[in-house]
Formats: sequence, C-alpha cells, structure tokens
Amino acid sequence: MNSKNRTETEVPVTGLEAGLMVCHECKKVVALDDRPLNNCPRCGSPIHPRKPDSVIKSWALVLTSLILLFPANILPIMKVEYMGASEYSTIMDGIIYFFKEGSYGIGIVILVASVLVPVFKILGIMMILVSIHFRIESWLSHKTLMFRFIKFIGRWSMLDIFVIALLTGLVDFGFLTTIAAAPAAPFFCGVVITTMLAAEVFDTRLLWDAGTGKDHDHS
Amino acid sequence: MTVCPDCDLLLEAQMPHPGEKLVCPRCGCTLLAPVENSVEKTMVLSLTGLILFPPAIFLPLLTLDILGLESSGSIFTSAKAMVASGFVFTGIAVFFTSMVIPFIKLLLLFLVSMQISLGKANGATTLMFKAYKKMDEWGMLEVYMIGILVTIIKLLHMAKIEYDVGFFCFIGLMGATILSSSFLDENLYWESIFSQASASKTACQKAADKGEKAVHPA
Repeated sequence: MNSKNRTETEVPVTGLEAGLMVCHECKKVVALDDRPLNNCPRCGSPIHPRKPDSVIKSWALVLTSLILLFPANILPIMKVEYMGASEYSTIMDGIIYFFKEGSYGIGIVILVASVLVPVFKILGIMMILVSIHFRIESWLSHKTLMFRFIKFIGRWSMLDIFVIALLTGLVDFGFLTTIAAAPAAPFFCGVVITTMLAAEVFDTRLLWDAGTGKDHDHS
Repeated sequence: MTVCPDCDLLLEAQMPHPGEKLVCPRCGCTLLAPVENSVEKTMVLSLTGLILFPPAIFLPLLTLDILGLESSGSIFTSAKAMVASGFVFTGIAVFFTSMVIPFIKLLLLFLVSMQISLGKANGATTLMFKAYKKMDEWGMLEVYMIGILVTIIKLLHMAKIEYDVGFFCFIGLMGATILSSSFLDENLYWESIFSQASASKTACQKAADKGEKAVHPA
C-alpha cells in the first residue's frame, strides 16, 4: 500500500516506470508506448517488459533437476572392465579414489564440478525463487551476483561426462580393459541441461521488482 | 537514458571508451564494454578457430600405451564410442556441446563479422547473430579442455601417454574460441547490423521508387 503511493509520486527509478523496456536478446531500450509493438525494432525478437512466465518455468526446471539429481548421484556413472570383470563406480567413488591416491588437486576439481556445483545451482535458484515469493527486500545485489555466478558455472558440471566420453574412446584395449558410461550418465546430463535452462528462463529483474515492492502484474 | 537489463534501473550514462566498461551501480551488471577493432579481431579469431576445427576434432588426441598395446582416439571417436555403447542421449549431448555447437558458433561469428566489415549486413545477419547468442553458453570447449587434463591425470599411472596432433590443435581451437567471444562487442555488432540492414532496405525502396518514376514519367 505504502509502496504504491511512493511509486506514484516519486520520479521513476526503473525502466518500466519510465515507460521503457529492454529487449531480452539484444538489450535495446524500447519505449513501452510504441505498443502494440511485439518485436524488437533492432533484432526482431519478441519483446516483453519481463520474460513471460519466468518464475513458474524456473520452478518447473529446477524441481526437475532436483529429482534427476538423486539417480545421478546414487547410480553408478562409470563401468571399468578389467580382465573380464566389471567394476561400477558412482561420482563419489571416483572422487574418493583420487583422494586415496593422493591426487587432492584433481579430486577437489571433480568434487566441485560434479557435486558442489549442481547442488549449489539448484539450491541457489530455489532460494532466489523463494525470496521472490516472500518479497524479501534484503541482499538484492548479492542475490543478483549469486545468480550471475550460477549462470557462469552452469556449464562446468559437464566435466565428468566429457571425462567419461574421453575414457570410453581412449581406453579400448579389448579383453584387457575397457571403460564405458553407466546408468547415472544420462541423469547427470539431465541435471546439467535443466539447471542451465532454469537459469536461462529466469529474469533477475523480478528479484528487484519483488524486493522493492514493484511486482505488479506486467504481462 | 538507458536501462539495466538485469535490475531495470533507469540510468543516465555516456558511451564508454574502448577498454572501459559501463557497470550498473545497483546490481553490478556490465551494460557496455566496447572493444577496439572488435569486428576485425573477432573475424580473424573465428577464422583461426574454423581452420583448427577439423584437425582438433578428427585427428587423434592422445595415444595410450599399456604393456606395448596401443590405443588412441579423437574427440569425434570418443563421442561416437559413447553413442555406440548404448548411451545415445549422453553421447548426443557430448556431440552437440563439444562439436556441433562450437563449430556453428565459429561459422556464424565469422560470417556475421565478414558481412559487417563489408558493410553488407542484412536481415539474415540479424538471424545469424541471434542464433549465435542463443547457442553461446552451450558450446563447452573450455570445459572439455579441463576434461582432457583430468583424463590425462587419471590415466597417468596406468599407461604411457603420447600427445598427438589433435591435442595441440584442440588447445588452439579452444583459445581462438575464447578470444573470439571476448573480443566481441555485442552492442557494436547489433548497431552495425541494424544500421546496415536498414540502409540496404531504404536503398532498395529508393531504387524501387525510381523505377516507378521511370515507368510513369508524368
């Protein structure tokens, strides 16, 4: 109530209040009163004040990745055949193996890329979505920074999948030893893809709208 | 007047000089980061990447030697082996993120840069640049590079490893790709494409008008 009065009397702070919107694709600033303007005059993409249905799409994708996270970590991700005997290992087994071997550096790299990054991404996006729901006003710039970081690290979880692909292709000694992927691999890929998409569809401006009491409907 | 794309703050700002950055004071988003000679640098680097692409992907990367038995593979054969072992979805994801998308990205960036530098950007250039931006984060060559290093460390104690031509070409390919996108001045590209495309449109219109006048001299 209070915030509504404030926005009406004070000078515009946001682009939306000034009647401007930014193209999602090429970042061109377009005047809202040019409506019905459906496409960006510079790049031709559909244009909206905010990404449409951003929060609900992000929720759907992030919950999907949360579900996929369990089989990805519980099932074995790699199969090593040595002299006819198969040995399966999960992501955690691979990390423990490196720590036991004394290769701490590489163990930490894989721990961060395959376990910590996916969990951090899912929890981070969920935290941001919850904070929009409850219109939490604090830490706005920190949450934006965290989101930017989540977007940046998103791709790095593919590391383990690339390592398994390389091992499959390189270690092919017939009966002596071969390496292949195991059932967790597609689930793990799914976690990476869905978290990247969840970050892609999310609109950080909604965080600021909710945090500054300007989350009126703008479809 | 401009607006921050990340937090929608209304800003009054000047165009920064090359090497400088325009940063949103509220959320820290980089709005503009002009690069000197962006089009030329990006064009040359994307062409370098395109030249290095075939050897980096198809030539052997590493050769392993276990007790005199040898086995070698390239980035292409690795993804193929993954599909062949029954992991079709994972294999296709590897194919796209390490080969298909990086290649299309380089090709699009080269074509767009060339059309801008020739002054012949048009509607198709807009579509190509938009496609490039959409694919941007799905090309994962630098992640693959770290993957190669992890693989080497994993195999170091069980096999003798020889580095082949593909390995060095891949390092070059990754470097060229990273540099080409870091020299890319997005705003400059959009502005150049837009002004050239609309100039060619009005030129066409003028030509059409002249044609009409010639037909109807009255």
